[in-house]
Amino acid sequence: FGIKLIFMAKKVYAIYLMEPPDRPLPPDEWRKLKESFGKPQRFDVQMMTSMFISESELDVAKSLLTFVAMETGTLSYELLLRYLTLCVSGGHDEEVFDVYDIMRESFHSLDTGATTLFIKSFSRTDRWKEAMNLLDEIKKVFTPSPRNYGDVISAAMLHGDTNTAWALYDELLEKGLSPHPETWCVLFTRAEHHQRLLGILLYMRNNQIYPNKMMANAIKTWFESLSSQKWTGSWTSPRSKGLCGCCGAELESIQLTAEEYQELKEKVIADVIQGRDVFKKTTPEELEHFKEFVRRKPPFDVVVDGLNVANVNRDKSKLSHTLLAVVSELKHQGLTILVLGRKHMLRPSMSWDRKNMSLIQQKAHCFFTDNISEDDPFLLYATLHSGYHCRFVSRDLMRDHKACLPDGATRRLFFKWQRGHQLVLDGFVAAGKRVQFQSIPSYDTIVQTTSDSWHIPYDDTEDRSTYEVPQRWLCLTRKP
Amino acid sequence: KSEQAEPLDLDRWKVVMRSQAKYQEQKVDDGLEGSNDGSLDENGDDCKNSSSLEATRELVSMWRQAGKLVPQEMTEDELRTLSELTTKSSRKKYLKYLAIREGYKLSRKEKQAQKRAEKEATMKENRDGAEEGSDQENNQIPNSLFLKFWGHSFDRVFAWRSAQAMLFGQPLVFDFSYESNMSRREIENTVSQLLEVEGWNRRAIDPFHLHFCNLQPDGPYHQELIKRYSAEVWDRLLVTNTERHYVELFPKEQLVYLTADSPNVLHSFDHSKIYIIGALVDRSIQPGLSLANAKRLKLATARLPLDEFLHWEIGAKNLTLDQMIRIMLSIKMTGKWEEALTFVPERKHDGLHQQQTKPLRTNT
Repeated sequence: FGIKLIFMAKKVYAIYLMEPPDRPLPPDEWRKLKESFGKPQRFDVQMMTSMFISESELDVAKSLLTFVAMETGTLSYELLLRYLTLCVSGGHDEEVFDVYDIMRESFHSLDTGATTLFIKSFSRTDRWKEAMNLLDEIKKVFTPSPRNYGDVISAAMLHGDTNTAWALYDELLEKGLSPHPETWCVLFTRAEHHQRLLGILLYMRNNQIYPNKMMANAIKTWFESLSSQKWTGSWTSPRSKGLCGCCGAELESIQLTAEEYQELKEKVIADVIQGRDVFKKTTPEELEHFKEFVRRKPPFDVVVDGLNVANVNRDKSKLSHTLLAVVSELKHQGLTILVLGRKHMLRPSMSWDRKNMSLIQQKAHCFFTDNISEDDPFLLYATLHSGYHCRFVSRDLMRDHKACLPDGATRRLFFKWQRGHQLVLDGFVAAGKRVQFQSIPSYDTIVQTTSDSWHIPYDDTEDRSTYEVPQRWLCLTRKP
Repeated sequence: KSEQAEPLDLDRWKVVMRSQAKYQEQKVDDGLEGSNDGSLDENGDDCKNSSSLEATRELVSMWRQAGKLVPQEMTEDELRTLSELTTKSSRKKYLKYLAIREGYKLSRKEKQAQKRAEKEATMKENRDGAEEGSDQENNQIPNSLFLKFWGHSFDRVFAWRSAQAMLFGQPLVFDFSYESNMSRREIENTVSQLLEVEGWNRRAIDPFHLHFCNLQPDGPYHQELIKRYSAEVWDRLLVTNTERHYVELFPKEQLVYLTADSPNVLHSFDHSKIYIIGALVDRSIQPGLSLANAKRLKLATARLPLDEFLHWEIGAKNLTLDQMIRIMLSIKMTGKWEEALTFVPERKHDGLHQQQTKPLRTNT
């Protein structure tokens, strides 16, 4: 999709921009060409842009610069910047050196765009140390981008200066930036600094980052290149019981520890339900009333988001019917159920059949919130309050509630708990068919290690959503 | 062909740029004492602080040369605000804002200069014409029933009506309790809208008695209002402004909080109710803010019947304060929603629903 967009953008540009010539032109012909376009104001810059888009030869661009320099006696910063972009993307690093000298001489300073391009280009050459100076220059006014750091780190790595590379890597992390996968790949291509590379894997574990295929490859190659320890790596996917499909080892459980669970519970109650203003999602009376209700009841096994479940089917006349089917199925499994809903569900209507609703109330404990209150926070509260075994039924991805949490660590904790406790209806609920739920994984999808193994989930495809986790794993085991 | 025979000197531009740079260097060398001393003196007092500001100014100037949307001129204050911003995107946004504002200012100035030139030209023409001797036509006073109806005559009429409204008019409350929920820019926007609110209300045939409630003295709202109105005009404004809460001023059962998040639809305008509008511009989406306020005080709430009358297309259902006052004034006068809702921006909807169609309901 991304590629298609770029392609379309190029097409659109091509309509508005002029077609660059296919060979270098002498100044006379440039003049004629400019006149043929009706002497547009920023002819030079526009022409250079279209050259960049159509990936013209460097000589064609040079002849344009020569024309403009002869015509006006100088070149604008913007034009040189566009030319520089063309040089860097075309890999003409020798030419970049010339442009660098000229721009340094002609202008007081460089903007961040030019500096970034110079860093990128210099990092590929023997003059990579100058890229470090440029990086320092950026630091005076800005935090450099992870890409800036990545370029210099890979330059240092390529030239064997691993100490500098790691120092820059530390600086990058210190500034709270997250490194690009390419940077990690480069670090893994050099087999030195064993502990530091394992540190990267732990960083990925702590921040719930999954490597892409390219990086997984680099990790595998690195492990296998360690001659003193005989590592074997293979691509696999876990079996449903939470065992590695390759070595059969048990993967880490998706269960939260007691402390993690306690922490999550407190944060969800404080930030998602209460928030800055309890009136936004509910009222204090209602919250108190609900807390009292939950306290009175035995711990639930499963909490059902009534409205969400009922709306699985498009048919609005069968809302209560669908809900009843789900509740009956759960009751059949011998579970203690809580159904959350809104008060309007109790008013008999075409959607909410009185008979069905009273059947639901017989089979399950029910709590109906005000029509203007949000029901999701109550769902989270009831589930968390009932204890670790309790699960909830909803199709909601809970993204907005996750966003209410204060920091990344808590959000990751929430996501893990959600993966382990959310029941999602599988397909539609049809008459006479048994209600099915999607299976909950018993293992956690995260970079993990034991004394003689590493299990690393990685992205095989580009289009994983944030609410999904990778399905493919890299299994690394060491022979004793 | 001759072109191909004669090789092009492709690196000619480098020679041009280098010789130019050398020339400039020489010039700088020559004038070193004069220019450098001057700039040193300027920055003498707070060197450290200004050096970071200078670096920022330099960066902005380079961005301008690189063709980015940044302002040409920046004041010290603006530079300081810029360097205090922490993220790249916030700096870019701020610079874009300044650049656009500067663009408006420049084009306005240009137009003014043009107008002035035209005026002078016509005046000169007239003077020339007068000298030629057709003074009879020019000096003739038209026979008229009235003296010229000046702007201040209008002002007096409006003030009279507003004074009447303050005595006998229906109150309309603006709730100023959202200071902590807004950024500076949002408060500025709010006050701009309030200025329009007061303007529209003043010109109405039957104005509301405006109440600015919960207005903290010397709070950000108050400061901005005084800055925009000037202290003198602010004191003469025919509006009740108070730091007291609206529940202290009016009986609770009469109050209706207008908020787009309300589940209740305002079907008809009630002349005995006191409607409350939150003086809030909410760019950072905080849904349910005013509804939470109303819930806390257990007030009745209502939303405009937008879905019921308009074929809504895009945009949020919350309207600006000036649109709200015009709608409220109109519904108060006519009682017809079809007429009052003409003040909803046209880009947001595709006309009125056909009569007798069932009101559309949005799903949960």
